[in-house]
Amino acid sequence: MEKRTIRFRLGETLVFLGPLLIFLIVLYGMLLWTIYVSFSDWSGTAPNFRFAGLKWYQLMVGLDRFWVDVRNNLRWLLLGVVPTVIIALFIAYLLEISPIRGIEGYVRTLILYPVAMSFIVTGTIWSWMYQPDKGVLNTIFRAFGLNFLVSNYVNDPKTATLWLIVIFIWQYLGFAVIILQSSFRTTELQEMVEAATVDGASKLRILFDVIVPNIRSGLLVLVSLLLISTLKVFDIVYIVTFGGPGYSTDVLAFFMFIATFQQHLVALGAGLGVIIFLIAFIVVIPYTLYAFQRWFE
Amino acid sequence: MSKRWLIVTTVLAVLSLVLAACQPQEVVKTVVVTQVVEVKGTPEVREVVVTATPKPEERKLEIFHWWTAGGEREAADAMFKAFKDKYPDVEIVENPVAGGGGVSHRVVLQARLSAGLPPDTFQTLGGAELKSYVDGGYLVPLDDLWAELKYADVIPKPLANAVTIDGHPYTVPLNMHIQNILYYNKPLFEELKLTPPTTFDELISVAKAIKAAKPNMAPLALGAKEKWGAAFVFDSILLEVGGPEYYVKLYKGEIDVKTDATFKTALEKFKELIPYINTTNPGLTWDESCGLLVSGDSAMVIMGTWAIGYFKSRGWTPGQEFGAVTFPQKPERILLFHPDTYGLTKGAPHPKTTMDWLRVVASPELQIPTDVIQGGLFARIDIDPKEFPDPIRQELMTYVRENPTKLILDQHGSIAPFSFTQAYWDAIAAFVVAPDVDATIKTVGDLFTTYQVKEGAAWYQWP
Repeated sequence: MEKRTIRFRLGETLVFLGPLLIFLIVLYGMLLWTIYVSFSDWSGTAPNFRFAGLKWYQLMVGLDRFWVDVRNNLRWLLLGVVPTVIIALFIAYLLEISPIRGIEGYVRTLILYPVAMSFIVTGTIWSWMYQPDKGVLNTIFRAFGLNFLVSNYVNDPKTATLWLIVIFIWQYLGFAVIILQSSFRTTELQEMVEAATVDGASKLRILFDVIVPNIRSGLLVLVSLLLISTLKVFDIVYIVTFGGPGYSTDVLAFFMFIATFQQHLVALGAGLGVIIFLIAFIVVIPYTLYAFQRWFE
Repeated sequence: MSKRWLIVTTVLAVLSLVLAACQPQEVVKTVVVTQVVEVKGTPEVREVVVTATPKPEERKLEIFHWWTAGGEREAADAMFKAFKDKYPDVEIVENPVAGGGGVSHRVVLQARLSAGLPPDTFQTLGGAELKSYVDGGYLVPLDDLWAELKYADVIPKPLANAVTIDGHPYTVPLNMHIQNILYYNKPLFEELKLTPPTTFDELISVAKAIKAAKPNMAPLALGAKEKWGAAFVFDSILLEVGGPEYYVKLYKGEIDVKTDATFKTALEKFKELIPYINTTNPGLTWDESCGLLVSGDSAMVIMGTWAIGYFKSRGWTPGQEFGAVTFPQKPERILLFHPDTYGLTKGAPHPKTTMDWLRVVASPELQIPTDVIQGGLFARIDIDPKEFPDPIRQELMTYVRENPTKLILDQHGSIAPFSFTQAYWDAIAAFVVAPDVDATIKTVGDLFTTYQVKEGAAWYQWP
């Protein structure tokens, strides 16, 4: 009897350890491998693992394209996350306090739809809408005489990235609303809102002084997920602009793809992967740790 | 009992995963062993060879190609039909990885090659792309096959040079795509009494005339989303301003762009042309730019021979709704080209069948149906140009027959290494949106040194 229990535990341990081990090997093995390749001299179709030191990193920082990418990635991190959270907060709150009963379910479904679609689909639709001459946006503006709103959208190198970020915000808004709404619905918070209402606080005051300070866990999850999604952005850029005009909307992940498979500069591609990882390490991980600390205070 | 089973199955599952992870490496080892034996290896591996040699080769051909889109799929079918007609016993295994077409074709192929699991043969363009595979040691030289077929005698010399590296031919080309062709809306040109331009100055004056008659039109259509579209237009200007020798020298990295007057003149001329190009160009792919002619938003486009198939699919007949001229034809009429080719991989599982395949690739029986559908010219110049249904390619093919040396590798065939070419396309595409001559000269000049074009393009011989 005694022995069987021990064996059973061994089995359990294996069931647990097996996948964990594979996970660690695949994830961290590949990570280490990428770092190793980035210091090798692999350019061309055949693997070449000869150590080249910082050769490809030096080439990378000498490229204007690299700095455009870093700037664009930071724009994505900032402008992709902050507006999404703020807009989602207002929408979620409006849905909560909506006087018309039953409308909430419909609206929520409506704004959740974009999340269910792939970026390939929404990217294509948006690039049609953005078309300067025949796109629906400019056509509507022209029809109503709002010529000052007519724009070149993603064809203007200066603002193209911002228009790409608009697509991201639109697509992730529903998701953000759902997460925030669910964090409104704790009994504790509901009681606090009721108390504040009884005390005669305005709706806006309730939002900022009662709700926002008390949904830390929801905000934590939301901001972390959005940070990760914006950092690894690739598909919107690939579909809508292919990095263009020139490389003005390029991001690190897209350049990594171009460098590795189009230019056959595998060491450079691996180096760019390492840079993405470093940004994640510097930006996302400290934020998450900080947020966790605040949460457990 | 069940708990014991649980342990056993878990251990088995983990083991099988570990084994599965090891598998590719084992195969790599086998390949290396076979190679060692060929140059007389150690005794213990001889056993492997003894069991391997008496086994007759399976009649199978594993092939990677990217002709999966509409129009190209039909060309691929014509290609395989020609092969099946000659060798009915061969089983053809196409693109065994799903999603292996186009860009992902190269991703999957790269993975298979560097893992030591090559297909028998794969599609590659001549020029820099082919050279990258030869440099990687993935292709077998085909000197014997070329001698057997006397292939060098039936194709133009520049085409042979495009697949010959360090004196050895590595692939068999089956077509030639021509890049510098200007397509125009024929009824519109007749209406405005314009002749199709063959020089830059004529292009500008025609563009002006069109703009004056149809202010809403962008006379020259451009799709620069894939980036190379802009380089096509710039190439045609470079070719006229500098001439063919200059063009080759430039992409071989033998010209200092930063101090070169010709390059600057070419960029200035390009800038002059930009007001006549559609401003929507950064968002359009090549086929969408050709679509601007059909929709009446543009009157001309500079595009490769593959555009003929596109116009036909939109219901336009060559010689009726649209015409085509080589652009430019000053100082002389040069055709910029690239071929689609197939070779034999090192360590191919079915080398004999692959050689049969390559013999068919070199034959008119394959080239006539395939090229007529797919859109290029025949690689062989001993095929009657009348085999083409359209007057455009009949005329081009006749010109190539009479002037087989007037061909130079284009952007896709790329004289310069691909690492440079990709970045160069970005710079030229950016120039169309923000035409800053001095900044572009600096950018392009830096690219030539960063990507070591001079060393990378030294292999190319022209004429």
